[in-house]
Amino acid sequence: MGRRLFMGEFLSGVAAAAGTSLFSHPLGAGEITKRGKSVVVIFLDGGISQFESWDPKSDLETGGPFKAIPTTVPGVHVSELLPLTARQMHHMALVRSIRTDLDDHGLAKNIIRSGRTTRSATEYPELGAAVARGLERDGFPLPGHIRTMLEGEGGRVNNAAYLGPRYAGVSVGAQKGGIVNTRLPDGMTVTADGRRHDWRRFANERLSGRVRTAEINAYTQCYEQALRLMERRDLFDISREPLSTREAYGDSEFGKQLLLARRLVEQEVPFVEVNWGGWDFHHNNFEFHLHYVSEFDRHFAWFIADLAQRGLLDRTLVIVMTEFGRTPRINTGFGRDHYPKAWSIALAGCGIQRGAVIGRTDPKGIEVTDRQVDHRHLFHTYLRAVGIDSSGEFDVAGRKYPAADPAFGPIEELLA
Amino acid sequence: MKPIHADAPAGTAKAAFDPLATRSVHDWAHSSKLLVCRVDPTGRFVLAGAIDHTIQRWRIDTGARTAFAGHGNWVRTLGFSPDGATLYSGGYDGRLISWETATEKPAPVRTIEAHRGWLRGLAVSGDGRRVATCGNDRLVRVWSAGDGKLIHECGGHPQMVYCVQFVPGSNDLVSGDIVGNIHHWRGDNGRLERKFDGSEIHNIIADQAPFGGIINLAFSPDKKRLTACGLHKPTNAPAGNRRAVALSFDWASGAKFPKQESLRKEMDATMWRAVYHQDGVMVGVLDKEIGFWKQGEADLFYLAATPSPIFDLDLHPNQMDLFTAHFDGHVRGWRCGAG
Repeated sequence: MGRRLFMGEFLSGVAAAAGTSLFSHPLGAGEITKRGKSVVVIFLDGGISQFESWDPKSDLETGGPFKAIPTTVPGVHVSELLPLTARQMHHMALVRSIRTDLDDHGLAKNIIRSGRTTRSATEYPELGAAVARGLERDGFPLPGHIRTMLEGEGGRVNNAAYLGPRYAGVSVGAQKGGIVNTRLPDGMTVTADGRRHDWRRFANERLSGRVRTAEINAYTQCYEQALRLMERRDLFDISREPLSTREAYGDSEFGKQLLLARRLVEQEVPFVEVNWGGWDFHHNNFEFHLHYVSEFDRHFAWFIADLAQRGLLDRTLVIVMTEFGRTPRINTGFGRDHYPKAWSIALAGCGIQRGAVIGRTDPKGIEVTDRQVDHRHLFHTYLRAVGIDSSGEFDVAGRKYPAADPAFGPIEELLA
Repeated sequence: MKPIHADAPAGTAKAAFDPLATRSVHDWAHSSKLLVCRVDPTGRFVLAGAIDHTIQRWRIDTGARTAFAGHGNWVRTLGFSPDGATLYSGGYDGRLISWETATEKPAPVRTIEAHRGWLRGLAVSGDGRRVATCGNDRLVRVWSAGDGKLIHECGGHPQMVYCVQFVPGSNDLVSGDIVGNIHHWRGDNGRLERKFDGSEIHNIIADQAPFGGIINLAFSPDKKRLTACGLHKPTNAPAGNRRAVALSFDWASGAKFPKQESLRKEMDATMWRAVYHQDGVMVGVLDKEIGFWKQGEADLFYLAATPSPIFDLDLHPNQMDLFTAHFDGHVRGWRCGAG
C-alpha cells in the first residue's frame, strides 16, 4: 500500500472523527462467542437484476428470457444463470422483499451500506466499520475492515463516521508478491528502517506526554497498522496458493478477489468487501447478465463451497449486496432501469437460517406482497448474524451511539 | 435522388426503388415486443417473432393476423423454404421448429432441440435442402430439411454464435460470433475453410462481457461483398452509448472495405440487420430509423424515421416494400417509391 496515500486518506477520516476517542471499547458482552467470525460482502455495484438472479419470474412481459431452475432447497428456484450457485443454496438464504425507495446510485449505496436513512455517506458508519468495531479483538494484527482490490495503491476509505478511522475500510490488493508498495526502498536496510521507527515512536511518546489528540493517535495507529501490513504482506499474495486452488478460483478479477477474501477469512479478519462494479445495465440487460451472472455464478459457487469445505462458512457470513434492483419494465434498449421498490439479496453461512426465503413479490415482480423489509432491517440482521447486539450501543469516548437504527430490528425469522 | 429502377420478380409490378420517397403503407400491432420479421418468398405474408414466445403472421393484402404457438421462449430468428411453403423458426428455447407457412391452424410440423441455450440465428440453403442454425453453445449445426437429421456440426467459434448464412449458390456457410469472428464453413464436410476478422466491431466491457460482435451477415447481390453488421464506438455500453456499423469484406480476397455508418446523424444504435436491395443499396436498422447506403459509401444517403425502435427488417420480393419489426409490438410496412 502506498504509505503516502494511506496517510492522506487516513487523516481525512480523522477530521470526521475529531472529538472522539480512539481508545474506546468494543461492545461489551459475548466476546468469546464472536471470536473468529467474519463478514464477507460481495458488492455488485450498479444494481444486479433480481429477475436475472434471485427472484426469477415467468411472466412473459417482465420476466425476461431466462428460466427459473430448482436448487438444493426444495421449492426454491433461482435464475438459470446460477446453476452452480443453485447447488449451494442449502448454505444460503434469500431476501426477496426489499423496498428502499431511493433510485440514485450514490444515495442508495449510502443507505444500504449504513443501514440508516441518510443522504450523507459519512453520517453513519458503514457495515464494515460497525462489524470491525463489533468484532474487534485486542492484539489482532490486521485491519478489521478490508476492501480487496487487485491493482492500484490502495488507501483508507472515509466510511466509519463517529467510530473513527481505526474502523474505516482499508483497500488492499492481491498483486503478485502481496500488497503494493510494502517493500523497503532500495538502499534502505531493515536495521535502518527499524531505527527510523524507533525515533518516530520516541518522538510520539514525548509528544503524547504533553499533548494527546485524536489526530496524533490516528497518525500513530496508521503507522503501526502499515507496519503490521508490511509484515503480513504474504497474506495478500494469492500466488502462494496451490495452482489447483488458483485455477479453481479462476483468472478473473472477481475470482482472484474471492480467493484473497478466503485467505483473509482464514486469518479471521472481521470484515472483507469484494467490490465488482458495472452492474448497471440500462441497455442490453439480458446479454450483459448472461455474461456477468454466469461469471459470478462460477466463482461465487466455488467460494461458498470452498468456505464450507474448509469449515469456514460456519463462522463467516457472506452477503451478496447491491444498491437496488432493476425495473420489471424492459426498456427500448432491452435494458432494465433502477428499481428500489421490490428487489433481493442473498446471504450464506454463519448466523442465518440456511435455505430460508424471506418475503415475496407479485408474479410480475412489481410489488412486494409479503414481509416487506428495508436497509434498516437488513443492517440489524447482518450484525445479529455474527453475534453483535444490534440493539446495543457503541461507546465512543463516553458517548453512546446505537449500533443500528433503534427504531428497527432484525429479520428474526432469518436468523439461526 | 434519381430513382433506382428495379427488376421485380415475375408476377410483380416493375417500379422505381426510391428510398427518398419511403412512406408508411402498413401498420399492424401485436401486444408483445417483436425481435424479428421476415417476408415469405411468395410475398403474401410477413411473419414476426415476439418475446411472448409466439410468431405472428399477417396477410399483407388484408392485414389478417394468425398466431403460431410452439416455442417456449423468445422467438429470435425466422426463415423460409425457397417456395415459401415451410417456415422455420428458432428461439431462445434452443428449438428449431418447422411450420406450414400458409396454414389456417398453425402447429409445429417438426421440432428439433437444436442447441443448448439460445438459438440465435438460422438460414435456409438456396435449394431448400438444408437448414443451418447457431447459438449460445458456440456451434453451427446443419440439418436436413427433409428428415431433420443432423448433417454437420461446426465447432470452433470461441464464443456464442449470433448469425449464420449460406453462401449464395452453395452449401457453404458463414457464421459470426459475439467476439467478432466470421467463419467460412465448407458445405461438403462442415470443416472450417477460412476466417474473417471482424473484431473491430466487437468490444469487451470492463474485462467481463462482450458487446457487439457479428450480429448479422449479408451478401451483396453480386456476391462479391460479405457484410457484417453490429455496433462500434461504445462510450458507455451499459447505458447504451454506441454507434451502428456495417463492416464489409471482399468475398474473394477477404480484404476489408471502409466501414459504413451514419455519419451525418449521430445516434445510439445497433445495426441489428442489414439487407441488400438487388441494385446494391444496403438497407440497415438504426434504432428508430431505416438507413440507406450506396455500395461502397461510408455515410448513408437517406434516413427514414419510424415511431419505435426497430429490431429487424426485411425486403419484400417486389424489391419495393420493406417491413420492420418494432419494440412497440408493431410490424410496419414501408414503400420505397411512388408505386
